Amino acid sequence: MVTKLKILLIEDDMIEIMKLNRTISKLELNHEIIEANNGEEALQILEKKDSLPDIILLDLNMPKINGIEFLNILKNNDVLKYIPTVILTTSNNQKDLLECYKIGVAGYVIKPLKYEDYVSKIDKLLAYWSINELIKV
Amino acid sequence: MSQDQVEILQRALKREKAARKAAEKILEEKSRELYFTSQKLEQLLDEKSSQLQGVFENIIDAYVVMDLQGNIIKFNEAATKLFGFDIERESVNVINLIYKEDYEYAITSFMQLQSNGYFKDYEARVYTKSKEVKWVHINASVIFDKDKNPVAAQGIVRDITEFKNLEIQKEKLLSKLEKSNDELQEYAHIVSHDLKSPLRSIHALVSWLKEDNINSLDKASLKNIELIELTLEKMEQLITDVLNYSSVGSDTSLREEIDLNGLVSQLVSILYVPENIEIKSLNILPNITGDKTKLQQLFQNLISNAIKFIDKEKGTIIIDVEDVNSHYKFSIKDNGIGIEKQFHEKIFKIFHSLKKSKDSTGIGLSIVKKIVNLHEGEIWLDSEPNVGTTFYFTLKK
Repeated sequence: MVTKLKILLIEDDMIEIMKLNRTISKLELNHEIIEANNGEEALQILEKKDSLPDIILLDLNMPKINGIEFLNILKNNDVLKYIPTVILTTSNNQKDLLECYKIGVAGYVIKPLKYEDYVSKIDKLLAYWSINELIKV
Repeated sequence: MSQDQVEILQRALKREKAARKAAEKILEEKSRELYFTSQKLEQLLDEKSSQLQGVFENIIDAYVVMDLQGNIIKFNEAATKLFGFDIERESVNVINLIYKEDYEYAITSFMQLQSNGYFKDYEARVYTKSKEVKWVHINASVIFDKDKNPVAAQGIVRDITEFKNLEIQKEKLLSKLEKSNDELQEYAHIVSHDLKSPLRSIHALVSWLKEDNINSLDKASLKNIELIELTLEKMEQLITDVLNYSSVGSDTSLREEIDLNGLVSQLVSILYVPENIEIKSLNILPNITGDKTKLQQLFQNLISNAIKFIDKEKGTIIIDVEDVNSHYKFSIKDNGIGIEKQFHEKIFKIFHSLKKSKDSTGIGLSIVKKIVNLHEGEIWLDSEPNVGTTFYFTLKK
């Protein structure tokens, strides 16, 4: 059974947000996307414990609270730490990669240059999480 | 007394006289000898003490004698200069010279002096009269009297303040260098991220333009869009290469024993090698100490360059090695297009690609040179246009 996912996208780049939205509609997927432009906004959204997302897609390079700081806050929260968080970033910096897995992420995906490659990566990623059993509140 | 008796006595007296005279003479000689010997001894003693005095006065290091309670008895000129005290006029105890943070160390060393009779290579700080702090190196020993009882202690004190300061400065510089290297590396990553993000966005936007207008765009416009995409790819490759180039100099600490033979044969199996090209090694490649990723990059860049520039129907790439004392000399020979003499130096400089194409950004060989230099080697080439090129490089064993 394919689940309809509630995805929290934390991303400050407008075009990146457009890319994910367009990809989902292009692939005719039925997922719901909640947008947050930065970590603070995301934390506000996550305060509503009755409508938590199924997965989080997190950009690392953001103003104010950066991705890794946000991840730390998330993993130190008894409720939020169970939400699978997938990093979606340009950074192939080994240091970032290690740090993310150390704190605890469910995946680390590099944003490719080509839009077609991006569509293909997102397709696979969402297909994988759609067939997973997720903690529903 | 009879005449005979008198004569006997007189003879005896005569003999006595002669014997005494002889004895006196011997005594005189002995006295003279003794006198000379004692004079010689005195001379020797004078000589020795003046020698000692000379050593005491002339050694560059400070020489200090103290009693068993630590009161200074003697300072040579250098010691007076170092500590600033005039011990003829003021009494000084070593306890008051010890820098407070080194106190414990000083006490431990002093106890060692008492139990072993000496200590060596004591390095700590002391105060001078003007409360200036100086770094000193001290070797010390106990002085005993003729009955083997300790009476005093002596020490050679060397002022190593400047040396210590240089050492501290060096450590500071090193850690600063390390930090700025890390920062630079971090900076390169951030810059490359910031430069790549807009490229990605442009790529997406152009794709959408194409997708949304596929029916109204003419052939020329579609071709132009394709060119935009190619340009974006080239730009991204350039950013990746610059990042790689700046990473080569960092973390050189990763040095292990590398089996180059295994590394190269693995490399050849994963590289895309067209069917008309044969790659062979003439000799088994050795093991060397180095950085695996970088050595892989070195061989990969040179071999794929050779593949890229082969224009003959049947291509051959020959890899060989030669033992040259402290280094190994490697060669990678191809029968490709060759490189004109005037470019032999230039090609190793960054951004000097001879052939403008999508897959050469002009950074590959500058990375190769950097890696060879990191392994204390040199790189050069032999080439004849249209015949082929041989790259030679050395790596430290």
